[in-house]
Amino acid sequence: MKWLKKWSYMLLWVMAGVIYLSVVDDWQVYAKPKEQIKIWYENIVRNMENLRMDDFTEQAGTATYAEGTEMTAGAEPDGSMPAVGEIVSAGEESVAPGVSTSGNDADSPEDAAQSEPPAAGNMQPSDISSAQNVEKTDDEVIYQTVEDDYFADAVFIGDSRTVGMYEYGGLEETADFFASTGLTIYKLFDAEIVPVEGQKKKITVEQALTENSYRKIYLMIGINEMGTGTVESFADAYRAAVDHLLELQPDAILYIQGIMKVTAQRSGQGDYINNEGIEERNEALKQIADNDRIFYLDVNPQICDESGGMTPSYTFDGVHLKAQYIDIWKTFLKERAVVK
Amino acid sequence: MIFSSIEFLLCFLPLFLLLYGITPKNMKNGILFCASLIFYAFGEPDYLLLLLVSVVVNYFLGLHLARGARLKGKDKRQKKSKSDRKRKNLLAAAVLGNIGVLALFKCGIGKGELPIGISFYTFQILSYLIDVYRGEERKETSFVRFATYITMFPQLLSGPIVNYGEVREALYEREFSAKNIQDGLKIFTVGLVFKVLLADRLGLLWREVQVTGFESISTPLAWIAAFAYSLKLYFDFYGYSVMAVGLGRMLGFSLPENFKNPYMAGSVREFYRRWHITLGRWFCRYVYIPLGGSRKGGLRTVLNLLCVWLLTSLWHGGSLNFLIWGMMLWALIVMERFMARLSGERLVPQGAFKILPHLYLWFVIPVSWMCFAITDLSQLGIYLGRMFGVVEGIQVNSGDWEKALANYGVLFAAGCIACTPALQKLFRKWKDSVWGMLLLIVLFWICVWRLRVEGQNPFMYLNF
Repeated sequence: MKWLKKWSYMLLWVMAGVIYLSVVDDWQVYAKPKEQIKIWYENIVRNMENLRMDDFTEQAGTATYAEGTEMTAGAEPDGSMPAVGEIVSAGEESVAPGVSTSGNDADSPEDAAQSEPPAAGNMQPSDISSAQNVEKTDDEVIYQTVEDDYFADAVFIGDSRTVGMYEYGGLEETADFFASTGLTIYKLFDAEIVPVEGQKKKITVEQALTENSYRKIYLMIGINEMGTGTVESFADAYRAAVDHLLELQPDAILYIQGIMKVTAQRSGQGDYINNEGIEERNEALKQIADNDRIFYLDVNPQICDESGGMTPSYTFDGVHLKAQYIDIWKTFLKERAVVK
Repeated sequence: MIFSSIEFLLCFLPLFLLLYGITPKNMKNGILFCASLIFYAFGEPDYLLLLLVSVVVNYFLGLHLARGARLKGKDKRQKKSKSDRKRKNLLAAAVLGNIGVLALFKCGIGKGELPIGISFYTFQILSYLIDVYRGEERKETSFVRFATYITMFPQLLSGPIVNYGEVREALYEREFSAKNIQDGLKIFTVGLVFKVLLADRLGLLWREVQVTGFESISTPLAWIAAFAYSLKLYFDFYGYSVMAVGLGRMLGFSLPENFKNPYMAGSVREFYRRWHITLGRWFCRYVYIPLGGSRKGGLRTVLNLLCVWLLTSLWHGGSLNFLIWGMMLWALIVMERFMARLSGERLVPQGAFKILPHLYLWFVIPVSWMCFAITDLSQLGIYLGRMFGVVEGIQVNSGDWEKALANYGVLFAAGCIACTPALQKLFRKWKDSVWGMLLLIVLFWICVWRLRVEGQNPFMYLNF
């Protein structure tokens, strides 16, 4: 008992930790280290096994197995291993990404999709649809230049970039904004981000679109989705969202805005945000436009320099336009208005 | 690896404590040294070798610098002896060598990034060498003990800069007990809360302002953001220092405090006696006092202070904004000294006027931190211009500051309370009560949860 009292704080701390890790975290904290240790352990076991086999094989076979041992020390499983061991380890490796990323739940399903083979199969339908679009773009869209009041019956939907437009575009009184940092196309309609006057709780985009009607919808979304899914799966989700938006707003036209690029420096940081990926996805977004109700606008030529990325002086973090340069974007939209 | 990371909190620390606990007493230094190298290698594998070379070379330098020190006190002829001159030359070479390496990295060789912790461990090594040379400390003959002193992970990356005398006894003999571990963990938790729940969150406001662009913030927001940055920097660095002290306590060391409620000071002079104390003390001991301190007349004092503040700016970095920051503080300190001398006792505020010195401090320090924070001079000009309404804003959203206050008001209030000594008093009073302990435990795991959700943020002082 004396011992218990002496260590009471530590025991409480550990107990709280066990509860936290079991309930909230599901012990995912240790998933990665465990995986790492497992790999180490397997490598050691594999090497040991190979060594043992060396002892039993005859002189002539030794050389080939020794080669194999060297290879197992690297990342690739080699052919000379016992077949059973290979299957086991391959199975675990394919499990690994799912386990390690399930902390951010948004990622895992898309990651799984990415590793599925059907990616190649998906190519065909999108190719067909692009072929259809080529015919449609023959009739050119006539864009006009308009004033701010054009946006009076418009709604801007998007992520942190659109938040910037809301705060510094000077349209907060004119248009409606359903925008929130980190918003993605996958969770677009369920996000509780639209404030209602005299009410503390925010309502979902779906709800807000049901209750109000608009003539123009501006969509700028896609940067946060870069880490998830493929170009095709993203485009499919986008297309579905566009269809649903037009269904909710039968009188509206919809502007798909190409994803704004990031600076070349930000693009080169080596994570999922890079300009090549943005270009690919923009190419896919362009195909969704039918130039009848759905139009595609790309502000990138206005805000990018010869490096192919956002002009460095326009931004601090390489992703968001500084407030004073939001005007470039706004002016661009005003010069690309479809008046019906 | 940094303290406020999942790997450290839930992998490295528990494993290390277990290992450290079962290690026999005479090998505890060895295991601490090894663990510290692993700790360092996780964040900075490229410069591990530099750290090791620095430790080995300076270990031998320390041995040689001390030789002949026992002659002290004998007759004066011997003091001027050849070996003494040799020692002096050696010290000069050692100081120049250590500072030279530091300066080379500060000027930007090697990938443009500083090896983590180099400013701190170099200064700690220098303090040891100079103390040994002066005969104020005995040389450390055991390599492991010396290496442990320099590299022990609680203070390796960002201080506090520990004098050898403060930990010498603990390096020989220290207590590893249930009470120390648990007290240390409690202290550590407070630091973690400061870092994760205050500094990182307040930092978001500063980040927002940077993303918006300084041209487009209203004057009130410029001030709010400057206050946010001031609090963020404090809780980032103070949090780190508290964590270091807590870790030290777990292992049986008593590391020095780095902060004593600086924002409660009444003058810039006082502020810097309470802010990053171990660095200020270093400059005082090894630069200011040897130059003559304040004993050689007014002009010399001003020049000595100039020297200290020039070096302090350089320590933080070679760019011009740090020079502006240092010179601003130097000018303010000189002015304060002058005012104090001129007025004597007459100007000491009474009653309600006692708030005046604090208002003055809360006005100048955020301005000085902006010079510290913004490395681009034209941007700095714009920011200061916006603070004082001299620079015309572009696309300013005049209601932005209300939004900032609405979003961050609670954090500001919490931060301000945590700036006062009240929190330390409460901690001392309640840390052993049941509710206090439960609160600390809950806070700890909330921090872990936040770190899981938001990812870790590096400490700001790791850049220096």
